[in-house]
Amino acid sequence: MSVDTSLLECVASETVYQDGAVIIEEGSKGDWLYVILEGLAKVKKRTSKGMVIIDTLKEGDVFGEIAFLEGETVSRSATVVAAEGPVRLGILDKDLLTRQYSEMSPMLRALMKSLAIKLRETTSRICSTLVSLD
Amino acid sequence: MAANKELSSVYRLKYKKGEQIFKQNDFGISIYKIVQGGVEVFRECEGIKIPIAQLGVGSILGEMIFFLKATEIRSASARATEDTEIEVWHPMELLKEYEKISPVLKVIAKQELNRLIRMNKFMDNLVIENQMASAESSANEEPWKDKRHFYRKETTLPCTYELVGSPKGARKSARGMIKNMSMTGLRLDVFSKNETLFPHNIGEVVSVKLVLPNGKGFSAQGRIVRITRNDYIASLGITFSDLPDGGRKVLGFFLLPGQERV
Repeated sequence: MSVDTSLLECVASETVYQDGAVIIEEGSKGDWLYVILEGLAKVKKRTSKGMVIIDTLKEGDVFGEIAFLEGETVSRSATVVAAEGPVRLGILDKDLLTRQYSEMSPMLRALMKSLAIKLRETTSRICSTLVSLD
Repeated sequence: MAANKELSSVYRLKYKKGEQIFKQNDFGISIYKIVQGGVEVFRECEGIKIPIAQLGVGSILGEMIFFLKATEIRSASARATEDTEIEVWHPMELLKEYEKISPVLKVIAKQELNRLIRMNKFMDNLVIENQMASAESSANEEPWKDKRHFYRKETTLPCTYELVGSPKGARKSARGMIKNMSMTGLRLDVFSKNETLFPHNIGEVVSVKLVLPNGKGFSAQGRIVRITRNDYIASLGITFSDLPDGGRKVLGFFLLPGQERV
């Protein structure tokens, strides 16, 4: 999978995380958005039985979008860790995205936000179900 | 239900406690915002009710259909859990606006939607697997007859499996033995030493390939949802996350109770 051109045009800076390094920590504040330019990352969530892997992200995937779409008051919904070697990331131009997002009508923004809320809730529910399985 | 039309594209509806707002697989493109009351969202899959969410004031319903555009079938049902008032938005104007938003926000919305669809599917399978396990523990003499959806076939089938998402060069596959299979998942026993090849963690997605006794090839992707370890064997509970229609059919035939005698 390649990186969408519109994402590449929105990259403000690049950064590299080594294998195993934490890019985003669950529960922390922050609403930067990242796109994977090269490599892999794992999305994990804390549960009463340890960390559970929720998703594997690859080249072209955006992450950090839940906190961005929901608004600055919410904390990060999951931890993202560089996996299987270093990962090269593009940090998206937040000022530009924030402007574009706030220019949308409140209704359309509510729809985007609702997707993020549902995703956050579904992953939480998956985690609690996984924990209850044993 | 009482309609109070205020505007052509936005109007309000009232529902009594227990009334259905929309039903899974119904056609519909309207978007709903809860103004007062509460709504329960659930899906029915393989005859099992899967709770999705309890929504309160300010929550939106129907945003997935909006972003999917082409598909206009409701993925879940919604019912009022108390006397509820909702605002109904017709999506036409919003769709026009959506077409004009920046391409990068569209890419983000699209990825968000795909992730949500994937997670919902996984959640469905997980709930079914969970209910299957509890149905089995309440031992039924005729599992196929009474609990058709819970049917899990005991078997001993060799297979290969590998981690999904590993870089191509580093991809390693290992062998294991499938101990049982159902329409929603399988149990895979592997030698503990396989864990030195790649990590076996809860949540990892693996791809499993095997040949069924009838000679048909079968492959599926699933997540590790349970691991029990002893000295030599790790027993992995895997819930399917991606089962192509073809594979579903092949597996369905294999699981038919008469197949051992054929």
